[in-house]
Parts: sequence; structure tokens; C-alpha cells
Amino acid sequence: MDAPARALASPGIAGADRAPIEQFLIHEALLLDERRFRDWMGLFTDDGTYWVPAVPDQESPFDQASLFYDDRDLMRTRVERLEHPRIHVQTPPSRTAHLVGNVFVEEIDEDKGEYVVGSTVIMVEYRDEAQRVFAGRQRHRLRRDGAGFRIVQKRVDLINCDSAFEAMAVPI
Amino acid sequence: MRNGHADHIAGLIEPGRVHRDVYTDPDVFELEMERIFGQAWLFVGHTSQVPQPGDFITTELGRQPVIMVRHRDGGVHVLLNRCTHRGAKVVNERKGNAPRLTCCYHGWSFDTDGRLASVPVPEGCAADFDKAAFGLARAPRVGEYRGFVFASLAAKGPSLEDHIGPMKGNIDDLVDRAPDGTLALDVGMHRYAYNGNWKLQVENVLDSYHVPFGHASTVNKQGVQFARREGDQKGAAVVESEKKQTAASWKDRKSYIAGNGHGWTSNTALDDNKRSSPAFDEYKRVLAEKVGAERAQQILTPRLHNSLIYPNMSIMGLNIHVRVIKPIAVDRTEVTIYPVRLVGAPPAMNFGNIRLLNVTHSASSFVQTDDLESFVRAQKGLRSHATDWVDISRGLGDEEPDRELNATRALATHEMVVRAQYKAWLGYMREAA
Repeated sequence: MDAPARALASPGIAGADRAPIEQFLIHEALLLDERRFRDWMGLFTDDGTYWVPAVPDQESPFDQASLFYDDRDLMRTRVERLEHPRIHVQTPPSRTAHLVGNVFVEEIDEDKGEYVVGSTVIMVEYRDEAQRVFAGRQRHRLRRDGAGFRIVQKRVDLINCDSAFEAMAVPI
Repeated sequence: MRNGHADHIAGLIEPGRVHRDVYTDPDVFELEMERIFGQAWLFVGHTSQVPQPGDFITTELGRQPVIMVRHRDGGVHVLLNRCTHRGAKVVNERKGNAPRLTCCYHGWSFDTDGRLASVPVPEGCAADFDKAAFGLARAPRVGEYRGFVFASLAAKGPSLEDHIGPMKGNIDDLVDRAPDGTLALDVGMHRYAYNGNWKLQVENVLDSYHVPFGHASTVNKQGVQFARREGDQKGAAVVESEKKQTAASWKDRKSYIAGNGHGWTSNTALDDNKRSSPAFDEYKRVLAEKVGAERAQQILTPRLHNSLIYPNMSIMGLNIHVRVIKPIAVDRTEVTIYPVRLVGAPPAMNFGNIRLLNVTHSASSFVQTDDLESFVRAQKGLRSHATDWVDISRGLGDEEPDRELNATRALATHEMVVRAQYKAWLGYMREAA
């Protein structure tokens, strides 16, 4: 259950092959933009977690409130709700556009087949006549799975994580 | 509303309905700031937020910025966050620790009890300048119950005891769950906002009528809500699965009022005998060790779902938290939700409470977000002049006394609690401060 720490920007690992990792992150972002939430959940390992802290530099999801801290069980409830015909806060649904960039491979553990990858994410959301922007740095712990990857941990540090938000129905 | 005349205000409230102006008229809102938020006892914070001398938090009472700070002598003060010199907000951080509170503008520095400690270039002060008269203003009245600090911005009015008296048991219900008999509000907060009037949220916390439809997306095909408490295998039966009607056990729930606009709803029917998880079982053991098995059993038998301490604070018994509703404008509201840490409970139990509150009451939760949608749509719908009246008549005349609880009781899907809130609202609004 250890949570991914937010670290200062690292210069990345020289020579790491970023291309397949970047492609994976883009794929993940597109699943969210296409509202394929069940497929998005399928990217996570069975013990995978999705965390959006509620304060900058939050050390742990275990002793503080978080915007999101979903294990697969909670993620499944979230996805089932997003698929429910009477989810009022998604009537009409959100439309989102994610942009993922500034990708750095920060750690490689070839023995475990695990990669820690930092990136900057910007999500523009439009819903019910209003558009808003979410932005921050995200960090994925990815595990190699055949030719692709699965997400062991995803943490998104929004720059305004401690502000008062209007309803947020979809994951960042 | 063109003025604050008592008869005009009184005309906005009728036995089973209220005029739309109470939600939409900026003049009504201004009067609320003066007569409700300028007079009533309001929750400021909890003493656990400022454990050490110099610890402070900042918040708002109505729209007025205040500081709650612990002084060297251990006393907790509620100071108005406005420099006595030229008016700048003195403390800008949400929380922190400082030996003195220093204004950023000219450097006036205040002690943690509000006294003016030092002024740069003092020789420039007027000959009769009296430092003692330039301390940060204190909230005229401050009181505390089991760590919950309340303040009133009016010098006169009912005592805190008279105001929250009927609700002390509801506060106890939450605090007693801590094995050490005290809470800490030191595990972060959720903050959400919506484009709607503050009373929409206040009315909603005791509204059981909306749940089966408003929260349909949290209910599975069997009509059962997701498990919301540590150790629960499933949630409450909300809907009859076949007919898509409100479940019988849900319809049986009760709501209560006990004066001053306060109220509460009875517990949600859950299978408490089956409640079990490593964290919950350990918590139960620790609680029984501290207070005895019989008392622990009493404490763990749910009695309350939500309690409202009028005008703007609520306490929840299901997903335990303290909620404060802050009016920003007639059509804008911010809400702070404090998860509570049960002092003495195993960390895993407190984590269980925190993680489930993330999905019930955060800005990104499964439950609260559908409520926010309803508040926003209410504010939009009330622009319509189709009728000037909002109906709150469910169960009108069906209220009955509950002598054991010294309260008045109704079905929770009725609207007695909303009517009681408007009775209190009128009491504040008719009287000039």
C-alpha cells in the first residue's frame, strides 16, 4: 500500500526509451477523453491505486483527506456510477481534452519491470456551458505487462489541489 | 425586496412554502449577513486545530475573515482578521504558527491574544495614541463545547448553552466514538463550491426525500447503496429493486426538530451485526477497553444520520465529519468538510473513515456531486417566474411530539425540518441587530 512520493523534478534517466512509455500515457489520456472509463480502469493492476492529493506535497493518503484515493474496489464503484443512466452531475456529460507532456522517466527497475514516470497533465473540461482547466504534475508507477504496461500507482498533483472545487465527476 | 421591513420579510415565509426571493434576492442575502451571520452562534473551528501556543487557523464568519489562535496562556481567541491601522487582512495563511501576528502593510504586530504589541516608527504616532485601543477586535462572544469553538459577532443574544443546548447530545454522539473521548480535526479538509444559495445545502443535509432519486447513481441493481462505513459489506437499502420505488426501510426513517432551527435525522438502517473488518474489530476492542463493553455497544449503535446546528454547521454520523456552509453571494456558496480523527482509535480505523469520506463528500465524490448538481439546477430554475413560491409542505400537520427525546418528530421524507429552519430564519431576520 505504499504511496508514490512526490519528488522534486528529476532530470530523467539518460538513454531511457521514452517512446513506448509516452505512447502508453497518451493512450491512457485518450481513454479518459473518450469516456471509456472501464477500459481506463483495466489499465490498473489489481492492486493499483489512483490518488489525487488535497494539499500540495501531501505525504500520505492514509492520514489526510484526498480528492481521490481509489483502489480497484472504489474505482469500480466510481466507474459503475459513471455508466449509470441517472448520474445527474453528468447530465449532460463532461467533455475533456487531456494533454500529457514534459515526460521524464525517473526510475527504472528492470528486475521488477517497473518504471516511475513523471509528466505534466492539462485537462480542459467542458460541461453544461462552462469550461475549466485542471493542471498539474502526475507520476505513474508502471509495470511491464507483456508488450505493454499496467499502472501500479497514478498520482496527480493539481496546482490548485487545495482550492474549493465545483463538482468533479470524471478522473483527471 | 426593497427594504428590510419586518412585514416584508415575514411575507416571504408561509406555512408550507417560501418565496423564491429567499434564494435569489441579493438584498435578502445582505440582510442575512447582518441579521443571521452577524448575530447567530457560528462554528469557528475545533481546539485540536490549534494545539500549541501560537497555532492559528483562519476562516470566515459569514463573509468576515477571522483568526482562531491559541495564546501563551492556553486560551483560544477568535480575532477579526483586519488590521486596526488601515484595514489589511493580517493573517493570510490558512493555518500556521507564529509568536506574533504581523500585518504585511506597515508592520503592525499583534500578540496572539490580539493586543497590539508593536508599531514601527512609534515616534510618529499621535500624542494621544493609545496602543491598548488598537488591538485586533475580538469576536464579541466566544464559547466552546467539547472542543467545538463557536463565536457570535453580536454582543447580545442567547447564550451558547441556550443556542446549542438541544444539540449537545448530537455532538456527544460523535465525540464519544473516540476511545479517548475527544476528536481531532487535523486530517485535512474537503472544500467544494457551487453556484447556488447557501440554504440549498443547509436544507439538503436533513433531506431524506431526495436520496432514492437524487443519488440513484450510487445504488446497485438490487437498490442497495455502496458500502460507506469501514467494515460494512454493503450499504443501505434505498430503493425497492423491482418497482424502483423508495425502499420501505428508507421511508420509515425519522427526522427531529428541537428548536432554534436545529434538527437531525435518524440512523440509516444497516446490518450492524455483520459490520466487521480488521480495522473495525480492533477499534471496537479498543473502545470497549476504554469505556467498557456495555457503553461501547451503546456508542456503536447508530442513532443519528445527520445533525444540523442552525444556521450553517452539520455533523454526520454515517460518514463521520463536520461540515460548515459558507455563504459567499446570494448565488454562490463554499462548503468545508472536516474529516474527524477519533483520538485513541487505531490508525487503520481512522484511515477507513477518511478513505470513505473521500468518495462520499469530497468535490469528486459519488454522493456529494449529485447534490451539487441539484443545488445548481435549483438556483437556475428559481430564475423562473412561473410561480414565486417554493413548496415545503410535505407532512405539514403530521408532526408529533417525541417526549422521550424532548423533540418533535416526523417522517424523514417529510419537510418539517425545512419549515423549522425557516421559522428560525424568520426569527433572526425580523429583528434588527
